[in-house]
Amino acid sequence: MSKVTKVWVFAEKNTALAQLCAGGRQLGEEVSALVLGTKEEAEKAVSYGADKVYWLGSSKQDKMLEDYTATICELLKKESPNLLMMQASKRGKHVAGRLAANIGTSVIVDAAGIEIAGGMIQVKHMVYGGAAFRVERALGKTTITTVGPGLFNALPEDNSRQGSVVEVDFVEPAGSVKCLERKSKKGAEVNLSAAKRVVGIGRGIASQEDIKIVEEFAGLIGAEVGCSRPIAEGVNWMPKERYIGVSGAMLKPEVYIAIGISGQVQHMVGVNQAKVIIAVNKDKGAPIFQHTDYGIIGDLYKVLPALKELIKTNNEN
Amino acid sequence: MNIITCYKIVPEEQDIVVLPDRSLSFARAEWKIGQYDLNAIEAGMQIVEAAGGKVSALSVGDKQLENSKLKKGVLSRGPEDLYLVMDEQLENSDTFLTAQVLTAAIRKIGEFDLVICGEGSSDLYAQQVGAQLGEMLNIPTINGISKITPEGNKIIAERTLGNEIEVLEISLPAVVSVTTDINLPRIPSMKNILAAGKKPIIEWDLSAVGLQGVTKQTEVISTLAPENVERKKVIFEGESEEVIQKLFESIRKELL
Repeated sequence: MSKVTKVWVFAEKNTALAQLCAGGRQLGEEVSALVLGTKEEAEKAVSYGADKVYWLGSSKQDKMLEDYTATICELLKKESPNLLMMQASKRGKHVAGRLAANIGTSVIVDAAGIEIAGGMIQVKHMVYGGAAFRVERALGKTTITTVGPGLFNALPEDNSRQGSVVEVDFVEPAGSVKCLERKSKKGAEVNLSAAKRVVGIGRGIASQEDIKIVEEFAGLIGAEVGCSRPIAEGVNWMPKERYIGVSGAMLKPEVYIAIGISGQVQHMVGVNQAKVIIAVNKDKGAPIFQHTDYGIIGDLYKVLPALKELIKTNNEN
Repeated sequence: MNIITCYKIVPEEQDIVVLPDRSLSFARAEWKIGQYDLNAIEAGMQIVEAAGGKVSALSVGDKQLENSKLKKGVLSRGPEDLYLVMDEQLENSDTFLTAQVLTAAIRKIGEFDLVICGEGSSDLYAQQVGAQLGEMLNIPTINGISKITPEGNKIIAERTLGNEIEVLEISLPAVVSVTTDINLPRIPSMKNILAAGKKPIIEWDLSAVGLQGVTKQTEVISTLAPENVERKKVIFEGESEEVIQKLFESIRKELL
């Protein structure tokens, strides 16, 4: 694949930075990383694959990462890289949008693939709730995209790599958003994307109470519990972190078991990378059965308890 | 507080049909108010109901905006008036162009304290317009807002990130994008819907907001449905002990 001249990368976390640097090596002749952190962290980016590091300085107690937007923007206007890849976090997307507004472009978010064809950068991303992938390109000098985990694999850290570190002066932001306090979120963070087995709950479940029937079943087989969008964002029976599908978690488990899930495309995009899909649904016409390895057309309130008994009996023997 | 809430008209996802060549057809699609934008409208209403003021709704797009059911749908959720910028140039607009037109429209509307956007549009979900809009209006902007408390000429807001919550002080005027957990959007009553028909709607085209000839900054090369993953499709039917036993036999190696 041909390469573009200059690729820039920016991430909040080191794991993401390492992946973006590796991606940068695939796509560009010269990779520059923007790093907010200690001098050591800035130098670390070189071992991840950067040729040049724009060191934004150590993060300050009274500053948010977003406060560095004006600083990055000035650099971006001066250097006009071909491609800027940013971590697809909430912060990353916000900063990306503000930068794009300043240089006159749109951000192509959540890249599922980046290719260079005829010197042009083409970014593939999901649209219409997963119904399709769109390939799009930016018309301006710089393409800005956000990249989620897993698109690129980090290279082994190479401490012998040489690169330069350029210190960047802070540009005072115009507007005022002040962070008064940081609280850690209650409840453990769920990581459905890393789970080997996942059970998904859909609208086939009659009440919030009944979720525990599914949880017990999941517990028996050591599975995490997720849900379709209506359960998390319609009736709010489960936290948003457990919602599978577009704008929610994208899974790659060994087994996915869909309980009372109809199988709308927006949900299926989140699970179709599962090795095996099993479905329980009483509606014979549910689209889920078109995407299933093993399915049963039946009432989950009868099927699940019976399956539980079979598993228990099996475990005892 | 004068609040402007932005929304987008989107095709109902469930009506999108994948054609044999993997392209998408919207021919049978109903259009609706973006699901996440309902939270933005509701957030605006809750602020003015608590602290006084006025909510205006604003959208930019093509002729789909003419749908009178949707205009009423927005106004029945509380806003006092509705501003629309409609132009064929805005069909399949990208986020930059959308933010550019919203900026021009908001400047024409005039006085405002707070602009509220949804987390993202429910069709393309780029989550970009709020950030771009704030930057173009050259005022403070932030995303991920899950709680807003007005306090004089500023707001105190909570911002939900992956594993932390930030408490922010945002000076006004500002643009915020709100999450879906900020509230549960109200269901309009019959009375609300009837009242909505009497509220003012102001319609402009691109030249009315001084933006004739603006174009998109991105080019779509293709939009295709993903290729299907082949599945075994071993389907059982029934709830008898025997059927469930059969199912169990076929999936036991996956479960145990």
